[in-house]
Amino acid sequence: MRSTGEMLLNDFWLWLEMLPIASEIGATWWFPFMESLHVLSLAIMLGAILMLDLRVLGWAARRYSVSSLNRELVPWSAAAFLVANITGLAMFITRASHHVENPAFQIKMILLVLAGVNIAFFHFRVLRTIGAWDQQSRAPLAARVVAAASLILWIGVTLAGRWIGHIV
Amino acid sequence: MESLSSWIANSAANDLALALLGNVPGSPPILQTLHLLSIVAIMASALMIDLRILGLALPSQEIHEMAQRLRFWAVAGVLGVFSSGIWFVLARPNRYFTNPVFQIKFALLLPALLCSYWIFRTALRKPNFYLIHFWRAKLLAMTSLLLWIAVVLAGRWIAYAEYLFWPA
Repeated sequence: MRSTGEMLLNDFWLWLEMLPIASEIGATWWFPFMESLHVLSLAIMLGAILMLDLRVLGWAARRYSVSSLNRELVPWSAAAFLVANITGLAMFITRASHHVENPAFQIKMILLVLAGVNIAFFHFRVLRTIGAWDQQSRAPLAARVVAAASLILWIGVTLAGRWIGHIV
Repeated sequence: MESLSSWIANSAANDLALALLGNVPGSPPILQTLHLLSIVAIMASALMIDLRILGLALPSQEIHEMAQRLRFWAVAGVLGVFSSGIWFVLARPNRYFTNPVFQIKFALLLPALLCSYWIFRTALRKPNFYLIHFWRAKLLAMTSLLLWIAVVLAGRWIAYAEYLFWPA
């Protein structure tokens, strides 16, 4: 027996699919257009994240302070993340009710939330003490754990995201 | 092209690639993710140095130093895209060699590689080149940037060639 909330949610996914814009994207060149922009934006986003994470881990770019890389790279990853979200949403609504039941999609969303929590922790907790270790090649353990988790989570997001299309 | 395609189709490499992609569970999305992560390495090296030369990213970093530090990532990224992508071509050569988007992708990839090679080589050998030949350097960086973006977009469109070349 399905609850009322679940039924409302199912209706919502179907309603998304029925939107004129969803069928327009799904049936035309807009879908591959969105998909190709999604790939481009995720590659730029992860490129910026990779550089920052490797610096925090102390494996690369040690001559630069963490704060300078953070300041110069985060705008790129944030802008690319925004594009990835818009293009991802555009693809999601074409098959919303299928995607929410796709295990690869579900795992991707869980990993995305974890990556978001990880970023929030880095931003609001770890970076608060940056004055003490900004120039050091070796960041505190908490910072290195966050950077390693970030790399693992984003690789997982990419893998799960790519896997969505193989489960239809 | 067709003789190359049929030569691959009759080779042992074709059998190997088909066995890999067909029998190893999860190998297609895993190889595609390695392909994406290698593109990330190219974005974090070749594309970042282009953006730096254009004055759009990483203002506190020095071009000569960037080239020394990022050269490894550019080479690793290029080796990574080839070694992860080649299996799909070996498995189904006809699908790729007769595909106009695949041909466009490689027609763009060659000048993209040459541009980036030249940019890295010049940055390593003549640290002042980017100050002396300011506009020439910017023009080259812009060309490289646009070529890499086009290669990434074209890559995703290989699967959707019918939208462009054989519309319904």
